[in-house]
Amino acid sequence: MIRQHPQVRIGVYVCHCGTNIAGTVDVMELTAFAATLPNVALAREYRYMCSDPGQELLKRDIREHHLERIVVAACSPNLHEKTFRKAAEDAGLNPFLVQMANIREHVAWVTADRELALAKAKAQVAAAVRRVVGHEPLERKFVSITPRVMVVGGGIAGIQAALTLGDSGKEVILVEREPTIGGHMAMFDKTFPTLDCAACILTPKMTAVKDHPKIRLLSLSEVAEVSGSVGNYHVKVRRKARYISEERCVGCMKCIEECVFRSPKFPNAFDQGLGLRKPVYMPFPQAVPPVPVIDAETCLWLKSGKCKQTCVTACGERNAIDFQQQDWYEEFDVGAIIVATGFRAFDPTPMRFYGYGQFPQVYSALEVERLLNAAGPTQGKVVLRDGSVPKRVGIVHCIGSRDHNYHPYCSRVCCMYSLKLAHLIKEKTGAEVTNFYIDIRAPGKAFEEFFERVQQEGVRFIRGKVGDVRPGPPDENGQPQGLVVQVDDTLRGRVTKVPVDMLVLAVALEPAEGADAVRRMFNMSCSTEGFFLEKHPKLAPVNTVNDGVFLAGACQGPKDIPDTVAQADAAAAQALALIDCARIPLEPNTAWVEAELCSGCKTCIPLCPYSAISRDPEKGVAVIDESLCKGCGTCVAACPSGAAQQHLFTDAQIYDEIEGILSYV
Amino acid sequence: MIQASKKAVDEGRTLTLLEEVLASPEGESVLTCMQCGVCSGSCPYGEVMKYPPRQIIQEAIAGADADLISSPSVWMCVGCYTCAKRCPRGIDLTDVVWPALRDQALQRGIQPPTELRVAFQNLYLYGNLLGISPRKRLDWAKDLDVTVRDLSRQPEPVEVLWLVGCYPSYYPRNQIVTRAMARLLTAMGVRWGVLGKDEKSLGDCDRLFGEEGLFELLVENNHKLFRQHQFDRLLLTDPHGFRALQKFYPRYGIEVPAQHYTMYLAEKIDQLKPLLVRAIEATVTYHDNCCVGRRCDCYEPPRELLRIIPGLKLVEMPRNREIALCCGGGGGGMWLDGHITEHGGKRLSDERVLEAAGTGANILAVSCPFELSRFEDSIKVTGLEGKLVVRDIIELLAESMGLEERKKA
Repeated sequence: MIRQHPQVRIGVYVCHCGTNIAGTVDVMELTAFAATLPNVALAREYRYMCSDPGQELLKRDIREHHLERIVVAACSPNLHEKTFRKAAEDAGLNPFLVQMANIREHVAWVTADRELALAKAKAQVAAAVRRVVGHEPLERKFVSITPRVMVVGGGIAGIQAALTLGDSGKEVILVEREPTIGGHMAMFDKTFPTLDCAACILTPKMTAVKDHPKIRLLSLSEVAEVSGSVGNYHVKVRRKARYISEERCVGCMKCIEECVFRSPKFPNAFDQGLGLRKPVYMPFPQAVPPVPVIDAETCLWLKSGKCKQTCVTACGERNAIDFQQQDWYEEFDVGAIIVATGFRAFDPTPMRFYGYGQFPQVYSALEVERLLNAAGPTQGKVVLRDGSVPKRVGIVHCIGSRDHNYHPYCSRVCCMYSLKLAHLIKEKTGAEVTNFYIDIRAPGKAFEEFFERVQQEGVRFIRGKVGDVRPGPPDENGQPQGLVVQVDDTLRGRVTKVPVDMLVLAVALEPAEGADAVRRMFNMSCSTEGFFLEKHPKLAPVNTVNDGVFLAGACQGPKDIPDTVAQADAAAAQALALIDCARIPLEPNTAWVEAELCSGCKTCIPLCPYSAISRDPEKGVAVIDESLCKGCGTCVAACPSGAAQQHLFTDAQIYDEIEGILSYV
Repeated sequence: MIQASKKAVDEGRTLTLLEEVLASPEGESVLTCMQCGVCSGSCPYGEVMKYPPRQIIQEAIAGADADLISSPSVWMCVGCYTCAKRCPRGIDLTDVVWPALRDQALQRGIQPPTELRVAFQNLYLYGNLLGISPRKRLDWAKDLDVTVRDLSRQPEPVEVLWLVGCYPSYYPRNQIVTRAMARLLTAMGVRWGVLGKDEKSLGDCDRLFGEEGLFELLVENNHKLFRQHQFDRLLLTDPHGFRALQKFYPRYGIEVPAQHYTMYLAEKIDQLKPLLVRAIEATVTYHDNCCVGRRCDCYEPPRELLRIIPGLKLVEMPRNREIALCCGGGGGGMWLDGHITEHGGKRLSDERVLEAAGTGANILAVSCPFELSRFEDSIKVTGLEGKLVVRDIIELLAESMGLEERKKA
């Protein structure tokens, strides 16, 4: 049964989208069909409806033909619903009287058969025409914005975004889960292709964060809960116990010197386990905040309650050591959030044929970064685990990248960091360095020139991914000497054996540990490999599907430092543009409760993610606070008596749409 | 691309190597080859091949495969799956590219190395690789102290239909293992039967040789047998046969539950454990066969079986599980030693027994019929006699169960 509707004048616009739609769907036929539908006063087709002339056409028709409803059959409403609503509004029509029929993503791009495509497009248009009749004019509400931004992750991306926002006078909360900010960049010795000292360019920024009046740095902290929405997020942060008061500590390091462990004994994670630390330690000398941390796993007092507490004595009157400290929570209201949680270096252990973890001469690239770093475990000397200096070093590219067994994507930075490592190793040791590569990818500014420079320095390049690594031939004591890599030198067409003393694996960049929990917490989406997904790959590269949540750095995909910094500034600019508006319009797709139908069962109340529903104690029915409702529709779907309804998605509108589809297929 | 292959068939011309590869299931992945060379670099014979795996793909794509097809490289793959396992683009070199290459060679009249040719002929004439009469299939069971249900004489429903395999049926050293298996299954109370004179090779090796036609004949024969008999599952002594049933038979619509014996017995470990009454005081290292191991990612069942033997100490070779070195016997390798050494290759089994001895083990445990003789030969050649012995897992289990071979009168 098709319900009767009042007479309205509908204009239907079929967009060709160049050949995107017209290449598959017969737009002429579709337009002719649309003209025959009830209530349609006018049907037109146009090459690009989103273009200025396209919008003008729509506006002119509204005025001249007194159109009361508009249907645009074009792309996804995600792309241009705003455009056409705005055009209608400009012409004096309430913008919510516009409905889109998605005949591009839902039809043209996914339907190969032209006849089927046309039939499907007709059904979509018929559904939109039927639905739009029942639309009502709606008013937008506005919500004010908290002019404060939270930046999650204190690597170079988070640092840059925080500084840019702070410098513009906005309050920033910077949350870092490690004891210090700096991220991976702080581990590097030099950066490609300019060979700037990483610490020299990073530590001033770290200090700037520490001293910035607008930035509040929360180290050893993780976001525990996020509620609210764009403009008004409420974030609960877990502050992990450092056991040393940041307020009272002056960074004199006496506690470390006087620890009952006279010498460092435990692997320092910051040095990739190559260096040792005490239970009380600084990850590296320039750490920010410049406050030591006590590791509860290894501290004798925290572990067993048995220790002379020489650290406490050493600290003396400052009394900064606080063994009573426990994890605690702090809560913040922010208008926008920038997620900059970085990446994790691929663990090459599963690729057993490279012998990582089996042969002591095999290193991951990040370990070698620490060896090269003057503040690292060997004070910048490139030496093997037995203390000897390698004479022959191999660097294997694409470990875990471009590999369907691990990550099919290219990690983008490994070619360049491998060239950098080759240069630095050669410079420091004079070793013969061989890079085993598949393709050298050096498309950045001054990258190719750097490649050429490293070639000129005498680094060897063999085009072939290493196939196997075996112990070298035995010496006079029968002990194997170094390693032998077996590789197809693809340019010579020979499988050869290359002896090396040290083998460096250029490991992939993969999503950071816990990335999926972060994704869920901030309601983002991610790509198949687990990197956070931008709203649009070209036109909204730092936005996410969750308004007010932005992305920066390698959490969005592998990238180098220049790209990371640029993206961080872009995210900061987007966050600024949002919080500087003071207020933002809300979609009027909120829910309401028909009091006569509500039985007062309270099903909807605990389901609402925004706590927008309460119960009217006098009438015994549910009431929705429209200023809190985000239009998610959960209560509408859950209501057993159909009392909860939602603007733009009323039962009647949805039935109209279904009837529209069914009537014309 | 697959259409192109069909078109070639319709046009009545032979396929090019590329067309043949593309016509195989998953063959299209060769188009994504990025020529990184991991395959050639990881191939145990890559160094001595004129055309190691990477170049085979490149030549195939270039359509210039004449020299390749007549080169000795064609007959140097031993089917170890290392290249396929490590390929970053997931190209199934072992099961797709090599069989197509060998098939092309045969179609274009290239003669395989003599030993291999003889093996083919044997298979065609006798249904087994050794060229022995099918009537002697059950010779291993003569004077055996347990009942052998010969379903070719008297069909009856069984729990386990045991496909004994060619070597285990005929080759004297393997027959010892086969008899041990018969006792073991009986001691476990399994109702098992064999196909006797009707059993023929499952044809796995032939497929890897490129003898697709011969393979299909055998598939047809075996399919008929599977339908004739009533059984819950197939049990295989030979990992190659298991792989064929698991991977290739389903392409002909034949899906039969099948297990290699290590998988089958590991499943029944609780039942097996109390039967292991005698200690074997020995240090044992296990050699992963390629088909159950690398090909099927099944590494633990054989180890579980060894670990439950009282007194036995299991040690690992540096190259174990997915990086184990092949014995060199697969993909026709059993009949290619001469060819491979002639072209500069070393016997992989020689290298492997040295690696095994390096662990301090005095027993090298295996679970593939080819490995017994290959490793025993290599032990003689490398001077390890008296230091290292090769035993099938079945023998070790049977010994621990007290089911020794009875002395013949």
